[in-house]
Amino acid sequence: MEKQELLTKVKEVVARVLKMDPEEIADDANFVFDLGADSMQSIQLVAAFEEEFGITMDQDKALSVQTVNAAADFIEAYLKK
Amino acid sequence: MITPRFEVHRRNLDKIFYPESVAIVGANNVRGTVPHDILDNILKANFNGVVYPVSPRERFIAGVKAYKYVIDIPDPVDLAILVFPSQVCHLALEQCGQKGIPAAIVISAGFREVGQAGKEREEELKRIAEKYGISFIGPNCLGVINTDSRSLLNASFARKMPEEGSISFLSQSGALCTAVLDYAQARNIGFAKFISFGNKADISEIDLLYYLKDDPKTRIILMYLEEITDGPALMEAAREVIVKGNKPLLILKAGRTSEGAAAAASHTGSLAGSDAICDAAFTQAGIIRCETIEEMFNIATAYVYQPLPEGNRVAVITNAGGPGVLATDACIQNGLTMARFEEDTTQFLKKNLPATANIKNPVDVIGDARADRYNVALTAAFKDPNVDAVFTILTPQSMTDIDLIAREVAKVSSHYNKPVYTSFMGEADVKEGIVVLQRNRIPHYQLPESMARSLARVLQFKKLRQMLQSKKAIPPVNAHPEAETILKDAAAKGKKVLTETDGAPLLRSWKIPVAESFLAHTPEEAAKWASECGYPVVLKVASEQILHKTDVGGVFLNLNSAEDVLNAFKRITENVSRTMPEALINGILVEKQIPGGEEIILGIKRDPSFGPVVMCGMGGIFAEIYRDVSFRIAPFGEEEAEAMLKELKAYPLLTGARGRTKRDIPSLVKTLVSLSHLAFAHPRIAELDINPLIVLDEGKGCMAADVKILLSNNS
Repeated sequence: MEKQELLTKVKEVVARVLKMDPEEIADDANFVFDLGADSMQSIQLVAAFEEEFGITMDQDKALSVQTVNAAADFIEAYLKK
Repeated sequence: MITPRFEVHRRNLDKIFYPESVAIVGANNVRGTVPHDILDNILKANFNGVVYPVSPRERFIAGVKAYKYVIDIPDPVDLAILVFPSQVCHLALEQCGQKGIPAAIVISAGFREVGQAGKEREEELKRIAEKYGISFIGPNCLGVINTDSRSLLNASFARKMPEEGSISFLSQSGALCTAVLDYAQARNIGFAKFISFGNKADISEIDLLYYLKDDPKTRIILMYLEEITDGPALMEAAREVIVKGNKPLLILKAGRTSEGAAAAASHTGSLAGSDAICDAAFTQAGIIRCETIEEMFNIATAYVYQPLPEGNRVAVITNAGGPGVLATDACIQNGLTMARFEEDTTQFLKKNLPATANIKNPVDVIGDARADRYNVALTAAFKDPNVDAVFTILTPQSMTDIDLIAREVAKVSSHYNKPVYTSFMGEADVKEGIVVLQRNRIPHYQLPESMARSLARVLQFKKLRQMLQSKKAIPPVNAHPEAETILKDAAAKGKKVLTETDGAPLLRSWKIPVAESFLAHTPEEAAKWASECGYPVVLKVASEQILHKTDVGGVFLNLNSAEDVLNAFKRITENVSRTMPEALINGILVEKQIPGGEEIILGIKRDPSFGPVVMCGMGGIFAEIYRDVSFRIAPFGEEEAEAMLKELKAYPLLTGARGRTKRDIPSLVKTLVSLSHLAFAHPRIAELDINPLIVLDEGKGCMAADVKILLSNNS
C-alpha cells in the first residue's frame, strides 16, 4: 500500500473511533494532545487499526505511538512483515 | 545554596498562590476524573480570578468556554494546571512557555515514580521550564490550595476546600494530603496554604519554605517528607523560617528504619544510622520533629489558636482525680511546672467550691460539677499571676452539662491573655462539647497527656529560636594543604584505609593532638623506642586490613618494661598470623600510653542527605554496645559542640560526677569543632574513627590514642 493511502486509511480509522471529521486530522496530530483521545479511546484505536489492516500488534508498543504519522509508520512496518 | 532557579521561583511563586488567571490544560467534561474535578473545585471555591479550560475536543466545560490550545487564549495567563497524561505534558508545557505563562502545577502522574521512561519525561519538563523561566510544582501531586480571600484557589482534586486558617501544610504524598484535609475538617482546623509538591522536580520544599517564611497568612508550617534531597539546604531554610519568619517548623519525616549502618566498616559508620542523623540535623536546625500527624496538629492548634504562654506554670482544672494526676505527671515529665497558687486564689477556691473539692493544683471540682463550678475554678486559675497556662479536663457524668462547660471555658478564657487547652475525655457523649471548643478555637486533646506535650513544644519554640539566634556564623572552611596532600598521596597509591601512620599527621595538621608513636619493624626497635619515650606504652598492630585490632589480639596495653614490649610484639605477631594470616602488616606501632582520662569516641561519616556528619560518644571497644552517642552536621561551632556533649547520658562523667575529677571539656569542644571543619573540608574522607580520644583532667587537654580513616570510593 502507498504511504499516502495508508495515511488516509489511518485517519479514517481515527475519525471513526474519535467521532470526528477526517479533514480535521493533521498528519502530525498527537492523538491525546491534538485530538483529545482518552485512555479508553487509545485502546480502541489499537483494536480498530488491527481490524482495519488485518494485523496483530504488540499492545504496549502500539500504545506508545503518539501521532498519526508515527501510527502509519508503525502499521507499515507490520504490513511489510 | 542560592541557585539561578531559586531566584526564578522566588519571582514566580506568587503566581502559583495568587494567580489572577488560571488555565486548566487537558480539562474534560467527564465528572469524577481529575481533569474535570480540578476545574470544578476551582469554580466551587469561588476563585478570585479568570478560569480558562483547555481541551482538544470540548467547546465548553462546566459552563465555561474552552480553548483547544493554551496559545489560543487571548489574555495573559498567570498559572497553568497540567492534567494531560504524562506522555504529552511536555507539549502542553512548551505551549505554556510560548505563551509566557510563568507558573504551572503538573498534577499528572507517570513520571520519575514509574521508572526510567517517566524520569526522562520529567527531565524534559525541567528542560522546558528552564528554557522559558517557568516554575512548576509537581509532577504527580494533588495540587495547591490557598484559602486567602484574595485568591480562594483550590487547584487540587481534594474533596473540599478547607476553612481559612494560619497553618500551612506541605506534603510529598498526595494521598496523605487528602487524609489530612479530612482529619482537619473534622476538627474545624483551617489552613493558610495547603501544598502537595509531589516529585518536586522543579519547586522543592526548600523553595516553598522560603516563600512561606514571608507569607503573612502563615503562622506555623507543617511538613510531611519522605526523602531529603538536600539536607544542608533544608536546615538553612528552616533557620530562615524560624529566625527571620518567627514561625515554627514541624516535620513528620517518614522512613525511620536505618539502612546506612548495615554496610559500615567503622564504629561511626555502624552507629550512625540515617534516622539518628536526621534527628540530629533537625535538632541543629531548630526543626520540631513529630512522630504522627496527630502530634503535628496538636502542637499547631496550640500555637495558632491560643495566646503564647509567658512561662511553663500550669494550672489543671478537672472533675476527676485520676486524669488530674495523669495531667500532673505529664506536666512534670515534659518539663512543665505545676503552678503554686497565691493565697488569694486558694481562699477564693475554698470559699466558692464544695468542701470535698481539692483546691490545690490540680484543682478537682469533683464529679458532680456543672458549669458554675468550672467557672469558679477557671476564673481563679486565669487570674492568678503564678499561672501561665490552664488545662481543663472533663469526664462525662450524668449531671455534667458538657456543652455549657465548653461554652464556659470559651467565655472565661476569652478575657485573659493566657492559653487554655482542654481534654474532654471520652468520645460519644463529649462530641458536641468538643465541637463547641473547636469552633471557639480552644485546642482539644483526646488525652490529658497530649496537652502537656503540646504546651512543652510551644514553649520549646521560643528556646529553639533563641538558640539559633545566638549561634555565631561559621567562617568559610577550607581544606588544609598538608591534610589534603596526605589524602591525595594515599589515593594515588590506591589506598582505601589510612591507619595511624598517615592518620596521625592528618589530625595534627588540624591541631587535633595525637599520642606520640613509632612504627617498629622488629621487637628490638620497639623496645628501644619505648625505653627512650618512657613507660607505660601501648603496642598495636599496624595494618590496613585490620580495622578492629582488639578483635584479633592486636593490642597490648600497660607495658612497663622492655621485656613487656618484646613479649607483646611477639604475641601480636602470633595472634595476627593465627586470626588474619592474609593481612599485610606494616609494622607494630609503639605508642606512649596516656594515663587516666575519659575515653571518648569521635567519628566522621558522610550521610547521603546531609553530607559530613560528626559523631561523639562514650568510647572504647564497647562503643557499639553502649550506643551513647550524639551527632551533628558539619561544620559547626562551639555552641553546637557543647550541645552535642550535653546530650550524652555519660556527660556527667566529664563534669565530675560522684567525686570524679572534672575533665578538660573546653579542649574536647575545640577538638570537636576542628573535626567538623576537617570533615567538611576533605570530602575524600568517607569515614573516620578516633577511638579512643582520651580527655584528660581540666587544663590538661585531650589526646587521640587511635585513628582510622576510610577513603571514599571516588578518591
